[in-house]
Amino acid sequence: MTFNSRQDKLSRRDWIASLSGGLGSLGLAGMLSEEQLRAAPAIGTAPKFPNFPAKAKHNIVLFMVGGPSQLDMFDYKPALLKYQGQRPSGVELRTERTTGGLLPSPFEFKQHGRGGVHVSSLLPNLASTIDDICVIKSMYTFNPTHVPARSLFHTGNIAATRPSMGSWISYGLGSENKDLPGFVVLGPGQNTGGGLARAGFLPSQHQGTNFDDSVTAPDKMIRYLQNKELNKDAQRRQLDLIQSMNRGYGQQFGHDEYLEGRIQSMETAFTMQFEATDVFDINKEPESVRSEYGDTPFAHGCLLARRLVERGVRTVHVYYGPGQPWDDHSKINKNLAERCPDMDQASAALVKDLRQRGLLGETLVVWGGEFGRTPVSESGDGRDHNPYGFTMWLAGGGVKGGMSYGETDDFGFKAVEKSVSIHDLHATMLHQMGIDHTKLTYRYAGRDFRLTDVYGEVVKDILL
Amino acid sequence: MRIETECDQNSVVSRFLLFKRMAIFSHQQCFSLCLIAFLVPLAAQTPGIEFFEKEIRPVLVTKCYGCHSSKSKSPMGGLVLDTKNGLKKGGNGGPVLVVGDPASSRLFKALTYNQTELRMPPTGKLPNDKIAAFEKWIAAGAPDPRAETPEVAASATVKKGMDIESGRKWWAFQTVVPQPQPKVSDPLFAKRWTKEKIDWFILAKLEQKKLRPSPQADLATLINRASLDLTGLRPSYDEVQAFIADKDPTAYAKLIDRLLASPRYGERWGRYWLDVARYGEDNPTSEATNPPYPFAWRYRNWVIEATNKDVPYDKFVKLQLAADLMPNTSRDDFRALGYLGAAPIYHTDLRLSKEVTETIFTDAWDERVDSVSRGLLAMTVACARCHDHKFDPILTKDYYALAGIFASITAAPRPLVDLGKETDEKFMYTAQRLFYLSYMANLMNGEPGSKPEEAARKSAEFTTEMIKTRDSMSFLQESQPQMWAYLNNLVKVPRIKLKTDPEVVPDAKPALPFAARNRRPGASDLPFMQSVFDAGIWIDGADPDLTKVDIRPGMAHDMNILPHGNVANPGALAPRQFLTVLSKGDTTFKQGSGRLEFANDIFSKSGGLAARVIVNRVWGWHFGKPLVATESDFGVQGDKPTHPELLNDLAARFIANGQSLKWLHREIMLSAVYRQASLPREAGMAADPANALYWRMNPRRLDIEAYRDNLLQVSGDLENKLPSLSFDLDAPDNHLRTVYARVSRSRLNTVLALYDFPDPMMTAPRRELTTSPLQQLFVMNSPFLQERAVNLVKRATADTDSPGKIRDVYRAAVGRDPTPTELDTVLTYLNNGTLAQFAQALLASNEVIFWP
Repeated sequence: MTFNSRQDKLSRRDWIASLSGGLGSLGLAGMLSEEQLRAAPAIGTAPKFPNFPAKAKHNIVLFMVGGPSQLDMFDYKPALLKYQGQRPSGVELRTERTTGGLLPSPFEFKQHGRGGVHVSSLLPNLASTIDDICVIKSMYTFNPTHVPARSLFHTGNIAATRPSMGSWISYGLGSENKDLPGFVVLGPGQNTGGGLARAGFLPSQHQGTNFDDSVTAPDKMIRYLQNKELNKDAQRRQLDLIQSMNRGYGQQFGHDEYLEGRIQSMETAFTMQFEATDVFDINKEPESVRSEYGDTPFAHGCLLARRLVERGVRTVHVYYGPGQPWDDHSKINKNLAERCPDMDQASAALVKDLRQRGLLGETLVVWGGEFGRTPVSESGDGRDHNPYGFTMWLAGGGVKGGMSYGETDDFGFKAVEKSVSIHDLHATMLHQMGIDHTKLTYRYAGRDFRLTDVYGEVVKDILL
Repeated sequence: MRIETECDQNSVVSRFLLFKRMAIFSHQQCFSLCLIAFLVPLAAQTPGIEFFEKEIRPVLVTKCYGCHSSKSKSPMGGLVLDTKNGLKKGGNGGPVLVVGDPASSRLFKALTYNQTELRMPPTGKLPNDKIAAFEKWIAAGAPDPRAETPEVAASATVKKGMDIESGRKWWAFQTVVPQPQPKVSDPLFAKRWTKEKIDWFILAKLEQKKLRPSPQADLATLINRASLDLTGLRPSYDEVQAFIADKDPTAYAKLIDRLLASPRYGERWGRYWLDVARYGEDNPTSEATNPPYPFAWRYRNWVIEATNKDVPYDKFVKLQLAADLMPNTSRDDFRALGYLGAAPIYHTDLRLSKEVTETIFTDAWDERVDSVSRGLLAMTVACARCHDHKFDPILTKDYYALAGIFASITAAPRPLVDLGKETDEKFMYTAQRLFYLSYMANLMNGEPGSKPEEAARKSAEFTTEMIKTRDSMSFLQESQPQMWAYLNNLVKVPRIKLKTDPEVVPDAKPALPFAARNRRPGASDLPFMQSVFDAGIWIDGADPDLTKVDIRPGMAHDMNILPHGNVANPGALAPRQFLTVLSKGDTTFKQGSGRLEFANDIFSKSGGLAARVIVNRVWGWHFGKPLVATESDFGVQGDKPTHPELLNDLAARFIANGQSLKWLHREIMLSAVYRQASLPREAGMAADPANALYWRMNPRRLDIEAYRDNLLQVSGDLENKLPSLSFDLDAPDNHLRTVYARVSRSRLNTVLALYDFPDPMMTAPRRELTTSPLQQLFVMNSPFLQERAVNLVKRATADTDSPGKIRDVYRAAVGRDPTPTELDTVLTYLNNGTLAQFAQALLASNEVIFWP
């Protein structure tokens, strides 16, 4: 469906914008009833999303900023030990920075679950729930530098101008809960993800809304959420006064969608102050649940992600930050040993929690970073960026568990078998959300844009 | 949904190939192994027709026919793959198929991606099992059941897009000429209603739909509308009263003149231009090689001042493209070059390959092509980066002809003081050179990698050259200490720390001290401006470990066509010149980068188009809806004007009146169409709900600039001055107009983002205004609103009693007295609330943000 900036649609877009009660509630399918679609000639025969039955209603992306090392977690390569310190002749292992010999992982790998999936000793919790997880070992992307590679992961393009996948999904499907944004980004700090949550040329209500998960008090997470001067009753009285002024003005002017939309929006905001306080307050969870996740910003993010999808938010991105912690150019073994436990605990807790609540089937969880790391050492005890072959995992949302998919070469450098590009991943994610990635388009600057551009193939082998 | 309308190639292709290429080296080692693995199961199948249908044809159809089809007028490389004959015959490069011998077949070689210059499909290597299938099929004699020659040829030979010759007849490219006043069916009414020529065009169309225009808005609405429109600020209560009392028939015209003369006008209308010019003060990521622009604010101020001075539009544009090349240009007007000098650039780590670096630079040039072509000509030239435009008469060579202009200029700060062209350019060149030398010296020192000795040697060489380069400018030391200091500050001598063996020195921290030092946010009032000068940029890949940016002052860089945008595969040279469809004969640019010739051509060769584009934008900013709904796309995919004769006429008269925007404002605002009431009417809503025909004025809402500025004005806090620098919008003491707030491309202010400020990374045709609860949280709960309310009440000093104070608050906030009902409601509210709470309620109400 192209919902573009052409004149005959302008008024409809204004109309829709005026209706947008929620923060980002405006999905096409969500907003337009069958009748409205038929009554709208410009939209005509355009397909509606979901355009085939969706397995997943929600998706959660656990984003390991900096590029986590596949070779120390999932991609078991005995050859690294065998040829330790060497640079095998005839094998091109060049990356951005100058690197040394092959660096074996000191972490012990074992096979787990019914599929015998390799998981290292860094991730005992994920190993214990591996039967819910599909490990893709043959991911590849197209840029070896953080910012463009992150942009590729989130928007499918290097240019820092394209819409985020969360915005595309919001645009296609809308939010199920008009009191909450359709696309939420959680991470430590006020600006997590930065431009990666941008709506780009899509209508701005599909922009990701950012919340700081390093604090747990909801009023610190959402700007201006609480009125510091008035209690609820006093605020209600003030809002009643505003609305009486608005009604008076509306009567005088006549019917106007914007005026009415803003009246609605005020009410939503008022309710949200108290509901968001509830939704975003992870202390509302029993201690037993909170202790499963742990008590770190990433753990808060994971738990909050579950609370949000439970309430109908389409997309939640949880960033493991701040900065790019997984960018282990040096001291990688020590760093991973310090950093993995809380990541492992929280992400495994999320998968298990979703399963226990019966939400895993309808929630697609995706874990990974902008790229992986090299099998050869950098500065002796680090690993450089590696966009040519790395690991991501998926859980729930109609994806098979207990399996690994694809292979890198003998050293874990390049994806060589059943390679999955970042576009293929996007196509697969959209597919599970019920969207044909070739049909989710937006007309801008003279052409139809897609999240997957002209690429992307659904990885059918990993789907239930 | 028309999938075929989609662009099937774009710039990603180039990156894709690039990284594929980087990845390919060891891929090949694995390839033969994988091939064997895949061949085993396939061996059971005897390749025949069925094999072709199952394995080969689907790949040909999905991956090859797009470019190699007998249905295309000019198949790529002269190769046709959708007929049996075509496949046998091969393309311009000779046969592609040696039956029985895959290894000698170019078709197979291309699929393996083994040769840099022979790789197909361009969108990425096929999966290994598919390649193996082709190998097997060729080995088995390439059985092909398809027809010898094209089955259907006649209708398919028509080119999809518009060719150049038909393009010349496209409506938007025609010369603009004043149009006769349209005939109307009710001349008596017309005589009574119309005020300007515009009105006749509107009325004629309304009559066709049997609609009448709306009556004139009441005077209070009118003065509010005009003031908000031209200055972004509401009139005071006293101004409203005086306007209502003024019985002079020219009162409204006098009002327009007064508003146009106000310095507040440039602040409002300059901002509209800044949306089109994607004004920003830093870069998308602001990393080591794309630091912020501390002097960008000088460009912003120039736009505001030039708008106030009503610089003719053609000159306004030319200055932004080529002020330094135009004779008799005042030094002040050099600030206009910030349009190019503060354009977005992207970080490129120079340890990446030549191809990567070159792609990142071509991406920046692409942004300029997009900004000038959509912004000034409403043509989507950037669509032609990978192939000829699919719809419009724009060739790939047109794209690279324009991109070459931007490959021929270098951005650098220019001193405010005028020491002549030669010193200017020497200074700018030196500044850029020092920047890169310093970057490279520190990069090699800070991250030596595993060739530390070589890195140390390079670092030392760059450092030596850096010092030498700086010292070549030592003549500035005495006479221009600030210029000298600027250059000297770029010289960051690395703290040399040699590591002999990284394997035994595990503590090599991957810090980027240089990057950190360059991340200086905020504006500077040092005497420089963001600017450009003529100096071509080439990417030098001679050193495999460190790519270099080669800046050659005075040299122009004609680009080669890059099929599919791939820098690794350059095609024919595309000399810099104006768009083919708008030119005749030899139009290649001959002076320097060609910026000035390009700027001149915009107005001499496509004057009608340029005028239509700006007149349409201005119309849209006045009415909330332009005559051509797609302001930045007048091509085939864009919309046609709702009133083509009106646009033609207005654009022609705009040119005749010296391209004066103030003339255009008067022409529009004095019209009866503009003065209409905006109230909904049943007949109009039924016949034309989108108001395409202007049966009423469009009611609108304020954008963030007007909203915030009015709130500050209402509370008596607005500081009206043209400041130097730019300011954090959220700073509690920032009471300047919103246009002076810092605009960051990497971290857009959250309030700006909340109220739909356009992404300053690319030219924005319009604001898409949304309504969201987060906006209402800002209105209800932010200290900014609460402080406005408190200060507003402080202004209500005329009376001591509540009704008097309420009246004063109403007058200040919405320029009118409360009705008796409103007064009662507020008095009741005050039993349980405060005056400040009431004032905030009024500020939060729809009346304040609405623009009827």
